[in-house]
Amino acid sequence: MYSFQYRKAKSLAEAGEVLARDGDAKPLSGGMTLIPTLKQRLAQPTQLVDIAGLPELAGIDNKNGELTIGAATRHAVVAASKVVQDAIPALACLAAGIGDPQVRNRGTLGGSVANNDPAADYPAAVLALNAKVITTKREIAAADFFQGMFTTALEPGELIVKIAFPLPKSAAYCKFPHPASGYAMAGVFIAQTADGLRVAVTGAGASGVFRWTEAEQALAKGISAAAIEKLTLAADDINEDIHGTREYRAQLVKVMATRAAAALSGKK
Amino acid sequence: MDTHHSHLFEVGGAKLARLEDLRLIKGEGRYAADWALPNQAHAAFLRSDRAHAKILSVNTDAARKAKGVLAVLTGEDAVKAGYVKPLSMLTFAGKDGRKASIPERPVLAHGRVRFVGDLVALVIAETALQAQDATELIEVDYEDLPAVVSPRATLEPGAPQLHDNVPGNLCFEQEAGDAAAVEAAFAKAAHVTKLRLDVTRVAPNPMEPRACAVAFDAASGKFTVHSPVQGINMMRMQLAAYTGVADDKIEVIARDVGGGFGQRSIGYPEYVALMLGAKTLGRPVKWVSSRSEGFLSDSHGRANYIDGELALDKDGSFLGMRIDWIADLGAYLHPAGPVSPMRNPVTCLNGVYKTQALYGRWRVALTNTVPVSAYRGAARPEIAFAIERLVDEAAAQMKIDPAEIRRRNFIPADAFPYKTPTGSVYDIADFHGVLDKAMKLADVAGFPKRRAESEKRGMIRGLGFSTVIENSGAGMFPKDEIRLEVHADGSITAYSVSHSQGQGHETTFAQIIGDGLGIPAERIRLRQGIGEQGLIGNHTGGSRTIVGAGTVCSIAAKKLIETATPLAAEQLGVEPSQVAYGHGEFKSTASNRKITLGELAAKKPLVVTGEGKFGSTFPNGCHVAEIEIDPQTGVTEVVAYVTVDDCGTVINHTIVEGQMHGAVAQGWGQIFGENIVYDPETGQMLSGSFMDYTMPKAGWIKDITIAEHTTFGTISPLGVKGMGESGCTASLAALTNAMMNALRPLGVPPLDMPLTAHKVWQAITAAKKGK
Repeated sequence: MYSFQYRKAKSLAEAGEVLARDGDAKPLSGGMTLIPTLKQRLAQPTQLVDIAGLPELAGIDNKNGELTIGAATRHAVVAASKVVQDAIPALACLAAGIGDPQVRNRGTLGGSVANNDPAADYPAAVLALNAKVITTKREIAAADFFQGMFTTALEPGELIVKIAFPLPKSAAYCKFPHPASGYAMAGVFIAQTADGLRVAVTGAGASGVFRWTEAEQALAKGISAAAIEKLTLAADDINEDIHGTREYRAQLVKVMATRAAAALSGKK
Repeated sequence: MDTHHSHLFEVGGAKLARLEDLRLIKGEGRYAADWALPNQAHAAFLRSDRAHAKILSVNTDAARKAKGVLAVLTGEDAVKAGYVKPLSMLTFAGKDGRKASIPERPVLAHGRVRFVGDLVALVIAETALQAQDATELIEVDYEDLPAVVSPRATLEPGAPQLHDNVPGNLCFEQEAGDAAAVEAAFAKAAHVTKLRLDVTRVAPNPMEPRACAVAFDAASGKFTVHSPVQGINMMRMQLAAYTGVADDKIEVIARDVGGGFGQRSIGYPEYVALMLGAKTLGRPVKWVSSRSEGFLSDSHGRANYIDGELALDKDGSFLGMRIDWIADLGAYLHPAGPVSPMRNPVTCLNGVYKTQALYGRWRVALTNTVPVSAYRGAARPEIAFAIERLVDEAAAQMKIDPAEIRRRNFIPADAFPYKTPTGSVYDIADFHGVLDKAMKLADVAGFPKRRAESEKRGMIRGLGFSTVIENSGAGMFPKDEIRLEVHADGSITAYSVSHSQGQGHETTFAQIIGDGLGIPAERIRLRQGIGEQGLIGNHTGGSRTIVGAGTVCSIAAKKLIETATPLAAEQLGVEPSQVAYGHGEFKSTASNRKITLGELAAKKPLVVTGEGKFGSTFPNGCHVAEIEIDPQTGVTEVVAYVTVDDCGTVINHTIVEGQMHGAVAQGWGQIFGENIVYDPETGQMLSGSFMDYTMPKAGWIKDITIAEHTTFGTISPLGVKGMGESGCTASLAALTNAMMNALRPLGVPPLDMPLTAHKVWQAITAAKKGK
């Protein structure tokens, strides 16, 4: 790890200013990706601006048909929240399955979404639920927010404040974790939203989280595992590495989608 | 014979909780990185980022000028110091009487780097961070050379050559057994089963990272080395050999060690380089490895690549077995690294069977990879895996029940002591009894029903087992010593060379000593790694500790009573023959006077050293694994696991269970996840972090039933046989056999480990397509 300045931000405004002024400064939330990167000497920020404790980034609220979760909310808190469990149980369930207990007790919703790791869990929920990413500058629709592997619509100095999830009629998430890292090799979030049925896939896309439109169309006619079983996911845009070929990941997506659909339809 | 059990139970409590645990879980353990020596400086290593290259030049100017930097050492310095030749224990003759070709290894690479992670320079600075920063300022001019990471390819003509004195990258070749007899056996066989049985390269990954702090005293010329060990003497011997420094000028000190698995028994070049650094600088120097560094430099394990053939008659009797074995030792030889795969498989080449014709060829190969050394079992799991896989495949091919084929070929219980075709003497065992008990506990009879139930749920169920034997190590030192020192309060300090890396010596040794003296185990405190005691003894390894040092604990207890009896008689004013000892007290039979051990020690120091030498014995057992595969994802769940072991007398069941849990989990790791992967072209490691390298995790094996079927060993008067490694020895084959039992009916051919979900799914998919 290279030396850097550590700064605990007193306010969101201060954090934004520092980050806008110093292009080599980085915000620190849970640090679950950033700290390992620093330890590997793969990044050399001038300063880390710790935003994890800011009150503006805290809080879980269910009102006006939206579940709003502060960006610095840790996964374990989301998983254990009665409010989340009542409003969108699939989201609580997703949070409960991220990484391991250490990760869940440090990692944050905002950190995960801002990083947009192609194998992270939250992006699938954000996209499937058609959530709004509320930043220090604006509101960004999920569809516009994720722009490819580790790339988002966030501008320098712009921070996620909270994420507003419109309450779905129903939702389910099924994930195949990599046995070593716990990251999704395939994760499928299905949600029946006001805007229709949406299927978002994480862990498998060569460009990060994506919507599987064929599955959406198939399920729109009626949610059942059988509807997915008939589909074939083209392996072309699927990620491939030492842990899995494209064909395997495409298969995992299908199996996870089938299981999520089965959970939604109440049948196995 | 049950007196062994009951007596220990009576005194120590056979389920006594480990005495060390409270201290360790409270964070009061003292590990290598916890040493802080007065005025110490900190070290970092620059490692090669390429697999094979000439070093054209190393420019350390900028690094030397960097803030806080005190010294920079390179290969030039290592060569100048003469620190170029590690100890080699591969001293015996091989094929045609030829000795091994041992490559040199300057403790910092000189002229050439041979694996990603090879040491290029040592930087010493006031802080660890300064040292790490300065390594980046060193400019190394390399000329890349082609690399070879495949153990089979490296022995082919035209392969890149690693060392000038190792032609063909072949360090050593040996044969064992009777080639002609095997030839004849195969000629008359009704059936021959052939398998490739590669046992993949894994990273031991003990929980505690490597660390070392070295001080040098110029006045006396003495080095003090603090590092994690499995025994201080083994470490000192290697450091002395590498440096040419006399044994008595090196003191090795260690306290708690967080996991070993063989990886701690090596006198690494890093430690020797730190000795050079401390001497050069005149200040103590400390280094703590990172986990990333550990993947690239801690010894790897297994990496044995085996072709096997089994010849059978029409009834499934084993006529002969032939193996061809390549041991991949990496880029250099660790001192004992090649000895394990050359020695242990020969010792148990027939396994638990009465097979008469055996032949094997072994080759020690070098590749551009991390050097390999002993890893929990040290080639015992590999030979057991080879035999038990061959037996199971043969049974399947010949449509003979796998238990039945084993029963037909077991060495019968009345044949012990049994001299094997390769010259070992198995002292005592009851393989039929072990198998029968395991089959019962695993409810093998109920398996077809469970399989049908799985099938209804769309799952594929399999059951497999292995029946194995292994040699516990005799050790390389002439004897094991245990010293007992009695204190005035009646408590006892015991000193041992054999060092716990988690096995629980503090408890087991205390139980044995307490049993011998008739006092509670809690009154005995074990101290290990105390160099100044000057004890002779073996390190912990090869499942030998309980047989060697453990037995000597009881000898030392007896000796203490013998030594103290005349002293007590003198105090009591009677003849020694009029003194009776029991429960920490000497009583006069002539009067009602008594004196305790503590009271005696208060008058005069009471210290004794017990000693003994005990050879190999043969723990054995049967493991039964039951697995369920999800064909849609290829994910395997181990749904039940039974171990029945004959490790002789059990001193502490809780510790035996713990050892078995860990070893079975390691077997799980190797079969289902762990695998060091190198890029075949560049020689870069592709699996060098816990994000990519699948260590077994808590909860993945849900249900282990652990039982014993005991025959009391004849080598140690305690009847013990050792059991630290037997779980690894049996589990590789049991798990693989269970997998193949599940997959074979689908038309899946034998698969190479690791059997990841991905590989299993691919195999099922391919088999379906093929039908």
